[in-house]
Amino acid sequence: MSLDFKSSQPLTMGIELELMVLNRHDYDLARGAPDLLARLEKVQIEGEVKPEITESMIEVNSPVNRRYDELLGQLERVRDAITAAADRLNVAVAGGGSHPYHKWSERRIFPTERFQRVSGLYGYLAKQFTVFGQHIHIGVESGDDAVYLTHRLAPFIPHFIALSASSPFSQGEDTWFETSRLHAVSAFPLAGQMPAVRTWQEFNAYFDEMLGYGIVASMKDFYWDIRPKPEYGTVEIRICDTPLTVRLAAQLAAYAQTLAADLLAHRRDEGVEAAYRVYGYNRFQACRFGFEGEVVDPIRHTRTRLRDDLLATLERLAPSAAAMDTAAPLAALAAMAAKAENDSRWLRERYQETGSLPDVVRMQADRWRE
Amino acid sequence: MNLGFLPALPFEMSFALMFGVLLVAGMVGGEMARAAKLPRIIGYVGVGFAMAPLARLVGLDLLFDEARIFVDLALGLVLFDLGRRMDLQWMKRDWTLAAAGLAESLLTFAAVFATLLIFDFPPVQSGIAASISMATSPAVVMLIVQDTRAEGQVTERALNLVALNSLLASIITTILLAAAHLDARVDVETALLHPAYLFLGSLGLGGLVAALARLVARSVEKTRELHFTLIAGIVIATVGVAAMLKLSVILSLLAFGLFTRNDARNYDLLNVNLAPASRLLYIVLFVITGASLPLSALAAGGAAGLAVTAARTLGKLVGVLAVAPIGGLRSRQSVGLGLALMPMSTLALMLHNDVVRTYPAFGTHLTAVFLCALIVMEVAGPIMAQWGLKLAGDTAPAEEVGVATGRHAARVPGA
Repeated sequence: MSLDFKSSQPLTMGIELELMVLNRHDYDLARGAPDLLARLEKVQIEGEVKPEITESMIEVNSPVNRRYDELLGQLERVRDAITAAADRLNVAVAGGGSHPYHKWSERRIFPTERFQRVSGLYGYLAKQFTVFGQHIHIGVESGDDAVYLTHRLAPFIPHFIALSASSPFSQGEDTWFETSRLHAVSAFPLAGQMPAVRTWQEFNAYFDEMLGYGIVASMKDFYWDIRPKPEYGTVEIRICDTPLTVRLAAQLAAYAQTLAADLLAHRRDEGVEAAYRVYGYNRFQACRFGFEGEVVDPIRHTRTRLRDDLLATLERLAPSAAAMDTAAPLAALAAMAAKAENDSRWLRERYQETGSLPDVVRMQADRWRE
Repeated sequence: MNLGFLPALPFEMSFALMFGVLLVAGMVGGEMARAAKLPRIIGYVGVGFAMAPLARLVGLDLLFDEARIFVDLALGLVLFDLGRRMDLQWMKRDWTLAAAGLAESLLTFAAVFATLLIFDFPPVQSGIAASISMATSPAVVMLIVQDTRAEGQVTERALNLVALNSLLASIITTILLAAAHLDARVDVETALLHPAYLFLGSLGLGGLVAALARLVARSVEKTRELHFTLIAGIVIATVGVAAMLKLSVILSLLAFGLFTRNDARNYDLLNVNLAPASRLLYIVLFVITGASLPLSALAAGGAAGLAVTAARTLGKLVGVLAVAPIGGLRSRQSVGLGLALMPMSTLALMLHNDVVRTYPAFGTHLTAVFLCALIVMEVAGPIMAQWGLKLAGDTAPAEEVGVATGRHAARVPGA
């Protein structure tokens, strides 16, 4: 069986945001998703709002866009519709990569056939997978371009981790990581990165082999950080924590879009093996230390502070940003990096201030409305 | 030989002994009920029913009266907890919530009142009994929510409605008592001043202790253990102060809970979980409630008692079903919400005892009718509430509900 790659308009973008549904008395996760989704069915929404693996999560899918400002506008309107519905049900909705103190054992699997099957297979991993990520889709013309971009975006993964990090707390404790969410993802057997295939044809051969062994049934079974998404005609970056605001979510999408434009315009041909040799190290540095992490460049044989690498990249992208009209969101990201400000830092500051994680989550939910 | 070091006969029973015995017996009874797929509360109350004659036999019955302090403390914690779950902002955002509460309370009042009039009870007394019937037992509903790990729209709405009808019941009962006093030629000022004092005084006390709690909280380290001690201490003290000032314990503690909600300006007090510790008091509370309900009332209350039970059930169901669907609740959820409001227990018993104490004219026959309804609902209420939450889809799937707090359930892989 060969996977058909549906061609799409290059450099269009769309995002998926997984959001937490909270009760309003102690701001723990609540099983509000079914009622919230039922209520949202009655309102007109751009894009889609869908269930996720547990009843404390919802997923927002934006429509396909070419422009950052349009994407942001849509996200703001969907967010307003969701918060209005949530208000009536007395639940709160928030961004953030993980809930800081929920007990995974208390989660309930959303009653659909697929989620029940995943839960049956993965046991407690399924409930621990109550983490919240942002996925960015970038449209590409062909499967070959998708494979190319999937590899070439990999060295920039640490940037997305540091910028989006918003899960410093887990099980009631500070993890010392900028993002703890990625550990929940890493536990799955098919997590990691795509193998070093070079073309869509090679990818298909790999997929067929895995299918033949019965290891996977569809693309959905790969939990890679970046993966081609043949049915959408996109490359999907799955590494980001859900940010605390829709604005940052849109800015991250604009960064991915600009990077993709640059990588497609200036094709690289060096091998990908070197990049993957240091991939795990760089990824860890970003997860643990954020902007202060140190990343290794195996082509230039350098070791740089992540923040400097990110700022240099943003500067280098200026011409592409001008062409894509993304200079403003990229400038905002550069300002964040320069001050080493991300959502994890914001959350830690709120904890310093209040000394109580429920209050942090309450403020997180308030921030989501901004 | 001097045997003075040996205890003299007959043995003197002590509080400590009684508390311990009630606790263990109640716990065992609860687990027996659980094994029979009934709510644990039925086991607790059942132990109370069984122990009443036994206790009288060994001379413990006097201690039951003195054990009122446990009842007050347990109820204090329940009401505080309920106050914390009550959300006035929500009632503002979704008017159907408060409307459902008003509808079910008033319909229950009307139905019970009419029923009692049909059975030829005098209007004032009937009104008092009807207003007490509006109250749903907060302790029963909270315990069932805990035991079944119920969570969701119906659970949240039920808790808010319980707070609302407990509040309405205690206020209207007080006002009617004043009217009864007017009947007995108490002057108008007193008849007006008394409810005003109760209402404003209790609200003020709740606000005051909430402010005090925040003040103390700011001066100690912000840990769960310290804040738990702080809250438990203030709840207990508030029960005492409310009784001392002749204020409403119910209203004071609901207000205390309500005022401790954290908002953007106020986040001094941690929202600690009182459930594990208060379970000890809950068990004793239900055993004592069971022991103080004379089963003979079932016969004495007779047809009127059953009619009152039916009227109350109907009033609550119709009230909720008339309004809740407008707020977007599906029909299973609306029925579930109505059923969750059925339990009637200690709160009603306390209100009734207060009435009898200050208003002897309430009458022994009406007391029998009322207690009959109470006993029926003491057993049927928890079953209906548990079933209602299940019907609404709010309770945790059966295999996940474990023993004790239900938190450490063993799960069969792949089940």
